[in-house]
Amino acid sequence: MQRMFMRRVGLALLLMLAATALTFWLVTAAPGNVAALIAERAAGAGADGEMIAKIADDLGLNDPLPVRYARWLGDALTGDFGVSLRTGKPMAEEFAERIPMTLALLAGGGVLALVLSLAMGIAGAASNGGIVDRVLHGLALVGASTPNFFFAAMLVIVFSVWLGMVPTFGVAGLTSWLLPWITIALFPASVLARVVRVNMQDTMSRPFATTGFAKGLTRSAVLLREALPNIAIPYMTTFGAQFTLMIIGAIVVERVFGLNGVGAFFIEAIRFRDFIGMQAILTLFVVFFVSINLLVDLLAMLADPRLRRPRKA
Amino acid sequence: MKNWPWAILAPAVIFVLIGIFSPWIMTHDPAAQDYGALLQGPSGAHWLGTDYLGRDMFSRIIGGARTSLVAMAFVLMAALAIGVVIGSFAGYVGGKTELVLISVIDIALALPSLVIALALMGVFAGENFSWMSDYWKMIVALTLAWWANYARMSRAVVVAELQQPYIEAARVMGASHIWIFTRHILPHVLGLVVVYASADAGALVLAIATLSFLGLGVAPPTPEWGQMLVDGMSYIEENPALVIIPGLALTAVVVSFNLLGEAFALQKVPRAVRGRFLARKKAARAAEEAARKEVEA
Repeated sequence: MQRMFMRRVGLALLLMLAATALTFWLVTAAPGNVAALIAERAAGAGADGEMIAKIADDLGLNDPLPVRYARWLGDALTGDFGVSLRTGKPMAEEFAERIPMTLALLAGGGVLALVLSLAMGIAGAASNGGIVDRVLHGLALVGASTPNFFFAAMLVIVFSVWLGMVPTFGVAGLTSWLLPWITIALFPASVLARVVRVNMQDTMSRPFATTGFAKGLTRSAVLLREALPNIAIPYMTTFGAQFTLMIIGAIVVERVFGLNGVGAFFIEAIRFRDFIGMQAILTLFVVFFVSINLLVDLLAMLADPRLRRPRKA
Repeated sequence: MKNWPWAILAPAVIFVLIGIFSPWIMTHDPAAQDYGALLQGPSGAHWLGTDYLGRDMFSRIIGGARTSLVAMAFVLMAALAIGVVIGSFAGYVGGKTELVLISVIDIALALPSLVIALALMGVFAGENFSWMSDYWKMIVALTLAWWANYARMSRAVVVAELQQPYIEAARVMGASHIWIFTRHILPHVLGLVVVYASADAGALVLAIATLSFLGLGVAPPTPEWGQMLVDGMSYIEENPALVIIPGLALTAVVVSFNLLGEAFALQKVPRAVRGRFLARKKAARAAEEAARKEVEA
C-alpha cells in the first residue's frame, strides 16, 4: 500500500520534471533570440549586436540547453522564476499578486459546480425518466456545449446591460464575483450532473438497492442512503479532471471580466512573447494539473482497495 | 442501426453543407467594409445586420462556418492519424519502446490540450515560423495539442485486443505481424477512435473559437465566430446582436456534435470497449423487450 503510494508520488514528480523540461525547451529554444527581444524592449530600435551579445552572455543564453534547464530548475525550486519580460517585475511577485485571484475563482467555481451537479443529478435520478429528468438532461447537454465566453457575454448582456444589476467589468464586492463563478462552473457542473445521473441509475439496478426497497425504504431514502455513497469514486475522479480543466475556464473568465489573475497574465505573456513569464505560468499549470490528478488517484486508492493492488501489465 | 436516431445527424450535416457551399450562400463579401452602413440592424440588404466596420453579419457567419469546418477537419484527421499510429505501435510492440512512447504521451497529457495549443501559438509567433500563415499555425498547434488523447486510447484498445485468444490462433497459423495488425487490430482501434472523434469534433470547434476569442487564433480578415464574438464585446451595450449571433451559431454547432457523439456512444461503440454501464443498459433494454413480447404473446 505504502509502496504504491510512493510510486505514484514519484511518478508524478518525474512527470512534472519532464513536462517542465519540454515546455522550457519549446519556450526558450524555438522562438529564436530571447536576448535580442530583451535588448529591443530595453533600448527600442537602437539595440545593437554588442548589447545583444552582452545580454545573452549575462543571462547565460549561450550555454547548452540542459545546463540552462538545470539552472532554471535550481532557481525555480528556490522560488525564483526570473523577471517578466513584459512587466519587468519578478515572476514571484506577479504570482503573489495574481494566484489568490485565480484561486478564489477556482474555489468558488468548484464549490458551485459541486453543489449544482449533485442537486441536478439527484433530482434527475429521483424523477427517473420524468419531465424533470428530461429537462435536466437537456440543460446539462446545452450547458456542456455552450462556449464559456459566450455564456459570460450573455450574463453581462442580461445582468449588466439590460438589468443594470452588476458592473460590466472588474470585481467589487461579492456580487461581482457571482458572474465569473457561474461562468466557470457551467461546464464542470453540466458534465458532473451527467456523471451523477448515469451512475445513480447504474447503482439503483444493483441488488443492494432492491434490498433497500425490500426493507421498506422510500425511493429517496434508497437514492440518498444506498446509491449516493456508491457514486463517490467515479464522481471524485471526474470532479478532479473537471477541476483541472477549470484552468481553461479561468483563462477565459479572467479575460472576459477583466480580472488580474494568472490566466490573464498567461495570455498577455503569449501575446507579448514574454517567454520567461510563459515558462513560469506553464510550470504553475503543470504543478497544479499533475498534483490534482495525483491527489484524486491517491484518494481513489484510499477509498477503493481494488486500486491498491499493483496492476498486471 | 435500426433504431438509430437519424434525425440527430441533421444539424451536423447542415453545418458541414453550409461550410462546403459557403461561397454560394454568402450574400456579400464577408471582408467587404461599408462605412455607410455601420452597426445596422437586420434589413433586406443585410439579413442579420452589419458589424462595426459595416461588414455583412450573415455572410460572416456563413464564412465562419467554413473557417471552423476546414480547421476542425484538418486537426481531427491529423490528430487521429498521429495518435492511432503512435498509440497502436506502442501497444503492439510493447517492451521498452512502449514505455518510452507512453512517457511521451503522458507528458503531452500533463497539461490541458487548449493550454498546450495556446503556448504553441506563442512559440509560433516567433520569426522562425513566419513562413506559416496564422491559420496553419493554429491547425498545427491544435494538432500537436490534440493527438495524445487518441494515442492513449489506441494503445489501450490494442493492449486489450492482443489478449484475445483469436490473436494467438492467428499467430499460430503463421499470420505475419502486418496481417494481424491491419486485419484484426486496426479495425477495433478505428472503431473506437472514430466514435470518440465524432464527439470530439464539437470540442474542437469550441477550441478553435476560444483561440480566436483570446486573440491567438485566426487573424482578423478571415471570418471566424470567436473572433466576431470578441469584436462584438466592445459594442455590447449598443448592439448585443453582434455577440449573440456568432455565439448562438457556435453553441448550435457544438450541441449538434455533442448529440451526435452521445448517439454514437450509446449505439455503436464496439463490444470490446463498451463500458459496464452501456452493456447493462442494453441488456436491460433487451430484457424489457423480451418481456413485452412475452406479454403480447
